[in-house]
Amino acid sequence: MAIGAAIMAARPRVVSALAARLRDLDAAEEAFAEATAAAVLVWQAQAPRDPAAWLWRTAWNRALDARRRAGVRQRLILDEVAPMPTPEDDLIAADQPIPDERLRLIFVCCHPAIATDTRAALTLKVVCGLSIDRLARAFLMSEAAMLQRLTRAKRKIRDAGVPFEVPGPAAWPERLEAVLATLEIAYAQAYEDAALIAEGAPFAAEVLRLSGILADLIPGEGEVLGLAALVRFAEARRPARLGPSGVMVPLPEQDMSLWRGDLIGEGAGLLDSAAGLGGTGPRRLLAAIHGAHLSRRETGVTPWQDILHLYDALALFRPDAETAVNRAVAVGEVDGPAAGLMALDAVAGVGRLLNWLPYQAARAGLCHRAGLTQDAAGAYSAALALNPARAEALDLEGQLAQLT
Amino acid sequence: MQYMLLIYEPENAYVGQEGQAKLMDIVGKHMKLSADMRDAGVMQAGAGLQPGATATTIKTTAAGQTLHDGPFAETREMLGGFYMIEAPDLDGALAWARRIPVLPGGMVEVRPVAQY
Repeated sequence: MAIGAAIMAARPRVVSALAARLRDLDAAEEAFAEATAAAVLVWQAQAPRDPAAWLWRTAWNRALDARRRAGVRQRLILDEVAPMPTPEDDLIAADQPIPDERLRLIFVCCHPAIATDTRAALTLKVVCGLSIDRLARAFLMSEAAMLQRLTRAKRKIRDAGVPFEVPGPAAWPERLEAVLATLEIAYAQAYEDAALIAEGAPFAAEVLRLSGILADLIPGEGEVLGLAALVRFAEARRPARLGPSGVMVPLPEQDMSLWRGDLIGEGAGLLDSAAGLGGTGPRRLLAAIHGAHLSRRETGVTPWQDILHLYDALALFRPDAETAVNRAVAVGEVDGPAAGLMALDAVAGVGRLLNWLPYQAARAGLCHRAGLTQDAAGAYSAALALNPARAEALDLEGQLAQLT
Repeated sequence: MQYMLLIYEPENAYVGQEGQAKLMDIVGKHMKLSADMRDAGVMQAGAGLQPGATATTIKTTAAGQTLHDGPFAETREMLGGFYMIEAPDLDGALAWARRIPVLPGGMVEVRPVAQY
């Protein structure tokens, strides 16, 4: 494995273990960065048998050095402090296992005391090690603003005494919900950036990994499994989302041979496990909707009737405009475009939706199919005026051109 | 860690006969809460404050100090009282803070006390 890949793979476990012991995210990240710099020098001569263990020991020693230099008296109980490990040390099997603190760290980064929009960026930064510039681009803000936001959050976690604990059962619903919502936001950032599909891929890969970690660590919660399945199903289609010349390809028109069977299999397995737990929830339903679209690969047809039922169920959990607009599109497929338009008109607060891209795009598609050329052209133009990402703009322009 | 729990409430909520009844109810709940805090050994201090109209504010400028009638900021919600507690971490402090009785519109701010 290349040095960079080994470091990235080890990062979540090592940084989590450091943060849990140091109770300071900044100090943990700094120590890991120092260990990484050392690894780049040392590993070229001789790679350790267990890169993660090497990074953990090196970073931990660096963190202790930093604490001593800062003259901070800590109540940490130390293992015997080894000197800087040499490459020879690592030929001996790692006898100091890395404590698995990933779950604790995820809960810290997603604590409700941190602003909602900051949690996703913080989790991706601290747990996955995404760079500030990549996060800044994904969350549409300047690097300086992103850096400031993350710095403030890390300082608050340290100074306000946010506990490095997995919360107890009483707090579980609220806290786990915050974690799942955070990962959903993080994934939406990676997914919706259609113009940057190639660039979003490694970003999405981190959310894929994180949701997988969560499913491994909390296998008894259906929504956790649902989220992991959802992300896998959505990522499975990534290779098919862009056509030649960079145009976005709508889901029902995607080339199914490009879909990733490995991820579809993983997602289906997760959803099966979730079904075994009983009950349902919004993430399980969303995953099931994605799964229904993917079933076209086996059957050749999209089961719109099933999808409509799933949206009806989803609306009970999420009675929001996004669900309602998507449901109207499904109605249009099941009962025809006129019925779809009626469902769209029935969405509460339509006035507010006029400046919302998914609404105008859905309206344009339904009018188009209903033969309402004038209305369709108006809606396509309205959608294009809302600054869609380049890939989606190309698709909308293509549809608009077909009208005339 | 020590935490300050600062209670902000719209003062006009306690005006009039109905308001007085609400006040009595809230005060009773505060007495129960502070008894629980003392029993748990977490309470370090706590008090209710008289209305903002009784406040006097000292302003310091380059020219010196001047006195002003009233609280430092004229907002609808006023600092009405506080607790200072000892808690192992923010979650512990939040658990106590959630139990502080306030009327709708009320807010409780949880601030860690600086250690020097």
